[in-house]
Amino acid sequence: MPSKYRPPAVLALFLDPQKLLDAVKAVKDKGYRGLDAYTPYPVHGLSEALGLKISWMPRVTKTGFFVGAGLGFTLEAWTMAWAWPLNIAGKPFISVPAYMPVTFESGILIAGISTFCAVLIAARLRPAPNFHNIDDSITNDRFGLYVPVRPYESGNVQTLLKELGAEEVRDLA
Amino acid sequence: MSDEITEHPPQTRHSQAMTAEPPIYRADLTLTQVNKDITAAIFRRPNAYWFAGMFVASCCLALGAVVVWIQLHVGMGVLGLKRPGMWGTYIVDFVFWVGIAHAGTLISAILFLFRQRWRTAINRSAEAMTIFAVMCAGLFPLLHIGRTLIAYWLIPYPNSRHLWVNFRSPLIWDVFAVSTYTIISLLFWYQGMIPDLATVRDMHPKPFARKVYGIFSQRWKGTARDWHHYEAAYGLFAAIATPLVLSVHSVVSSDFAVSSIPGWHDTIFPPYFVAGAIFSGFAMVITVLTVVRKAFNLEDYLTIDHMELMAKIILATSMIVSYGYIVEVFMAWYSENPVENHIYIWIRFFGPYLWAGWTIVFCNCIAPLIFWFRFARRNMVILFIASIVINIGMWFERYVIIVTSLSQDFIPTNWRYFAPTIYDIGTFIGSLGLFFTMFMLFARFVPVIAISEVKSVLREPVGERAALEESHA
Repeated sequence: MPSKYRPPAVLALFLDPQKLLDAVKAVKDKGYRGLDAYTPYPVHGLSEALGLKISWMPRVTKTGFFVGAGLGFTLEAWTMAWAWPLNIAGKPFISVPAYMPVTFESGILIAGISTFCAVLIAARLRPAPNFHNIDDSITNDRFGLYVPVRPYESGNVQTLLKELGAEEVRDLA
Repeated sequence: MSDEITEHPPQTRHSQAMTAEPPIYRADLTLTQVNKDITAAIFRRPNAYWFAGMFVASCCLALGAVVVWIQLHVGMGVLGLKRPGMWGTYIVDFVFWVGIAHAGTLISAILFLFRQRWRTAINRSAEAMTIFAVMCAGLFPLLHIGRTLIAYWLIPYPNSRHLWVNFRSPLIWDVFAVSTYTIISLLFWYQGMIPDLATVRDMHPKPFARKVYGIFSQRWKGTARDWHHYEAAYGLFAAIATPLVLSVHSVVSSDFAVSSIPGWHDTIFPPYFVAGAIFSGFAMVITVLTVVRKAFNLEDYLTIDHMELMAKIILATSMIVSYGYIVEVFMAWYSENPVENHIYIWIRFFGPYLWAGWTIVFCNCIAPLIFWFRFARRNMVILFIASIVINIGMWFERYVIIVTSLSQDFIPTNWRYFAPTIYDIGTFIGSLGLFFTMFMLFARFVPVIAISEVKSVLREPVGERAALEESHA
């Protein structure tokens, strides 16, 4: 990975999610901001502890659904009533009940695709053959706490995190 | 409930809410152990069973390819399609495979919304099954239209003929429903897999494999922010997939219910098709997982308790399907309509197709009743045999619905007994080959159980070392 500027920070690895949650609270109480945690699975209560805002995914899905359904219905109505109106069994050109399945499916399709793209954007996901995570054990059994610090604070924060039960503390300057 | 928590203080530390229920996995499993057990199949050379299975499956697939080539080369005449039965086993196979697909979405979406935590053991492989089954299903209409090269005419696109598809036709609803279902299932499955692919990426000893898993795991870092959005999106996918799965088989059933053929024109079709789909899908999940848990030593994860719960769902859906059969027969008799009586009662149970009619009664209504007994729900041999019997029954259910209704239509001079040819059978065997080949490859290269989801429902979600330290303390 090409080296980029990384702000000075401290990474603490815990073996126990409960210790991570306690550490988040303790470090926040000391006034540190911009914390992030690395976990192998979604730890219950971590989003609240870090004070993350409600995810914006639902708005994407909702918008996607209505846009997709609207496009689906417009396509049906336009092709059947406008582009080439055909009298099929004497039914109205815009047969609303018969158009509902395709309207619904198009809504779901666009909602799903846009939600998936939103996750890729929100979590900054993209194919990366040479990517190395901050630590290989994050996806295994370690719970990391990432604390951005000013360079002179690094030592104090490391001691604090060790006291909070961190198995390993690393300076990411 | 609070009494129970105070009784077992060491187990309640991490997740107090879970202590009210029995543990889903063995209480002493650690995060490290979960990683090791589930990814073991990817890192070691597959055993002889895998190679044998792969050989048989790919032979079936090759047979199917030859049969399909002959059918495309010679024409539709090689099949058993003769007037009036112009919908034959291809449509039967299509409905059968779409039905199989439904269990995966049910497990990943509906059981998720109902907070059924045991689904974590089976959701990944069931979703994989969904995708492979939809792929098999999609092949049949494409072959059945006869002029497969111009299958793209089904898609509404501006063309030089200025013609559009007829959106009032259930066959076009099908195109939209099945393709939406394929895409959404694929995205849902892949999104759920990203953290686990990252796990494999971080564990893999070979640099090349790390690169490949790195491409598919999309730079997954596992930060709290990532999980935050990921979980929100997962819930939303479940919320949109739930009505989707119900709509897809309802649309498939509309192919029949919207027509005016006696035997097809039936308002009970959508719910009865959806129940049948879940019924056959769960049976297929049991068939496949019985083999997977043995072949990859995953008995600690795909426990007998999970099998028992699936057997209960099979029993419940079997009851719904049986109710559907009874309503069909009752309504035909009660209506005193001679045509309905002829199709629903005479042809299917006493006439030329009585063998098929009684097969489905035995396989779908009587055989699953064994799951009323606890020993049967917890015996892998009985489960495996019953699941295959149910799938045979569900294939014949579609056979009975499609073939019998068409074979004796309004004009008796047209009547003809439908008989499939070896090409009908060969194509079906080919689709089984495609399904199992895909599944074998999936089980070899991707974690068959959702690692991160299993981790999140462990009693003591800690690593091996933390567990060791605690036991010393």
